[in-house]
Amino acid sequence: MAPDKDFPSSPLGNPGNASPGVQGLQSLGVQVKRVEKPAAEKEAREILARASQDRQTIFSCGGGTSLSSGVLPEKVDLVLDTTGMNKVLDFDPRNLNLEVAAGMTLDRINEFLAGQEKGFFLPLDPPGSNRATLGGAYAANSSGPMRLRYGTLRDLVLGVRGIDSRGREIAFGGKTVKNVSGYDFTKFLIGSAGSLCLITSAVIRVYPLPEASSLCDLVFGTLEELEKFLAALRSSVFIPSAVAVTELAGGPGVSDSAGVRFRVRIGLEGHRLAVERQNKVLPNLAREFGGFGDARTGRDGMLREIRSAVNSDRPFENPLFLKISVPIAQGPRTFVSIHTAARQYGLAAKVVLCPANGLLFLFAEGSSRKPAGDLLRDLKDLIAAAGGYLGPLLAHRSLLVNWGARVEPALHQLAFQPIKDRLDPTGVFPAIV
Amino acid sequence: MEKDRILKRLQEIVGPANVLWKEVDLAVFEYDAGLDKEKPSFVVFTQTAEDVAQVVKFLHQEGISYVARGSGTNLSGGTIPLNRGVVIELSRMNRILEIDLQNERALVEPGVYNLTLQNALAPQGYYYAPDPASQKVSTLGGNFGENAGGPHCLKYGVTGNHVLGAEFVWPNGEKTWIGSKAVDPPGPDLLGLLVGSEGTLGIATKILVRIMRSPERVLTMLAIFKNLEDAGQTVSDIISEGIIPATLEIMDNMMIRAVEESMHAGYPLDAEAVLIIELDGLSDGMEEQAQRILELCQKNGVVSTRRAKDAAERADLWAGRRGAFGAVARLAPSYLVCDGTVPRTQLPAALSAVKKVGQKYNLAVGNVFHAGDGNLHPLILFDDRNPEEMERVHRAGMEILKICADLGGTISGEHGIGTEKLKGMPLVFRDSDLDMMRTLKMAIDPKAVCNPGKVIPQT
Repeated sequence: MAPDKDFPSSPLGNPGNASPGVQGLQSLGVQVKRVEKPAAEKEAREILARASQDRQTIFSCGGGTSLSSGVLPEKVDLVLDTTGMNKVLDFDPRNLNLEVAAGMTLDRINEFLAGQEKGFFLPLDPPGSNRATLGGAYAANSSGPMRLRYGTLRDLVLGVRGIDSRGREIAFGGKTVKNVSGYDFTKFLIGSAGSLCLITSAVIRVYPLPEASSLCDLVFGTLEELEKFLAALRSSVFIPSAVAVTELAGGPGVSDSAGVRFRVRIGLEGHRLAVERQNKVLPNLAREFGGFGDARTGRDGMLREIRSAVNSDRPFENPLFLKISVPIAQGPRTFVSIHTAARQYGLAAKVVLCPANGLLFLFAEGSSRKPAGDLLRDLKDLIAAAGGYLGPLLAHRSLLVNWGARVEPALHQLAFQPIKDRLDPTGVFPAIV
Repeated sequence: MEKDRILKRLQEIVGPANVLWKEVDLAVFEYDAGLDKEKPSFVVFTQTAEDVAQVVKFLHQEGISYVARGSGTNLSGGTIPLNRGVVIELSRMNRILEIDLQNERALVEPGVYNLTLQNALAPQGYYYAPDPASQKVSTLGGNFGENAGGPHCLKYGVTGNHVLGAEFVWPNGEKTWIGSKAVDPPGPDLLGLLVGSEGTLGIATKILVRIMRSPERVLTMLAIFKNLEDAGQTVSDIISEGIIPATLEIMDNMMIRAVEESMHAGYPLDAEAVLIIELDGLSDGMEEQAQRILELCQKNGVVSTRRAKDAAERADLWAGRRGAFGAVARLAPSYLVCDGTVPRTQLPAALSAVKKVGQKYNLAVGNVFHAGDGNLHPLILFDDRNPEEMERVHRAGMEILKICADLGGTISGEHGIGTEKLKGMPLVFRDSDLDMMRTLKMAIDPKAVCNPGKVIPQT
């Protein structure tokens, strides 16, 4: 298993016997009465059926990398730690799919796939992939820079199994790449943050390892240069696998004094001739807009750099991790605005932009409630004005108390709440956003 | 009197000219591209989202069921107005409202034809990936409702993978916006649920889709096989090799003949099966990939292969494929198209089993399908004036669905459940799964007025 170098093993510095997810939950201000760690779906079903009968409240968690993506309860009777359900259930390389238990981490899945004879991979690279479990990623709708080429879980999940609020097994989708039989709960449960059922396993698409991979590493001095380059890349025929933009100030490598400000890491994959061509063309394209850089062939280096871009550089005592999305064209300016806002409140924040999707991540220290709360308020207004969404991945309950509705009230009233009330009438699972 | 009152109110909302109520007019709307029929009580042509919301609100208050309809090309009875419900006809809401290249989005009304959007995007170097064979006439609203696929969905995904937002009228007539130009709205993936819900949870009145840059190069090849199973095996081998072309489409001899008689697309009449292979993307390395595919074709006994020389030849090959369903009208008065899907490695077994079903029930079965997705489309040909033959057709259709389910597949890959496949749902779902679907339907549409009787079998 990969060491926890990218994501703090316990983001809240609270070591103990409990798994990081459970520790994280407590440190985010949730009172936990009891923890169970089933090793298989059957055991989870029995636990859930008992808890449901006893009208206990249940919160499921995996690696604890996106605990705040749903509604954090004040207290919970039972935390169901899914990391014990961590096995590959079936691998079908000829049909390019993998069935895996919900508690397996994304990195472990990729280690398994890379170790197969031909070599495969799962292109799902959210922050904290060394700890993020498949079930957690599914519940939080997690993604990273590779969604540019491969999509999100909406595109990758073929089937899902779980347990409903009455302890009954449920299963939707299957192992075919097309399926419109019945209501698509396989998709609807994505992002449901454990509010509708417990996810126990999923069938996902996997891809063969590409023939060639490389990293194109570029820097730009001004926002205008960056914007022009990204627009040119977007309208070109090239389709990188991943693009991640970070700000150099305070980061490793080049300093402010060199006159550069933005670092753009581009992951390329595919046929070796196509990769070779892009290795040449993209640095030239950068030069057209005032940037510079080079390309390096090799898969490990490319993955390492993309991962580095999308993860926090250091552990946080009280993490304030946010996922933000805006319309694509507004990505670069929003990226700069978020940096500016964080600095204004004296918060050392790392911000990452996945420009081709308008997706951003912010990693900051949330220990001092006042500046973190003020930053959240400002960002909420900023992102709303940009027509985007702001969602917490990790944030203390106290910061979220005045968060307000995460979805449109009308939508909540017409769809989410009626569905929640019917599927979970006794409120076994956490509230729906 | 009651009918007059309802007619009057509907006419007040959309104008007298936009409501059909005479039996002779209604007859046109009693069927879609499936087999079932039922005449609506009224057909209402809406011009705006507000029209739709007001009509739905009124019908909801009155407890009258309704179904939204575009071109009616769906192949599972999804737009049949059961219980003589009202048809809400959306085809006049047909404007492309915005093409936003900077953000790679297009906003359309539901009555826009799929091909109309493609034609608007192509000159700008962009396209919308889902391309159902019916794209000339099927609407994007219908594509939304059915989660339509198409030949190019092998590489790029189906409608649900490309819808990012929608203005939506709920079963009680409330109108909300879901999603936006930004990705990942918070909460459960509501759009992922609504796309493909066959109009049973509400009506999309505006649809926001992702558009993509056109590829640098497209290479189209035709491989000719001496039997259908070999073509199926080749598809399985290509996918197993880890190659994902843009399309992998198969057509058998019966369909080839029908197409050639109908439109002279250039398929060889003596071929038992043809496989259309299309690669797209950067030109670099495409030749090598094409060569590897040809080697796999040869391994499976391909008779010959050829490439589309130019855009015109490519267009002909695709015109033949897209016109295949229409061309079977030359062979029989009616057809039932099955839509079962299997894991791709099971294609040869599924094709062989389908052939036996045709023999068992003494029915002609043609095949034209999205092989790369494992999505079969056996077309069972028959004469609907012969009730005994109809009965055999239904039994054969159900048997084919069971074959797909038994091979680890499902009963519908892209055409939906509608009314035609309701009986097949227990083949792939347990009671608890179906109960969850019913519960969800009840939560959204407690009065069961929104396209009732579809998708979920009643207990």
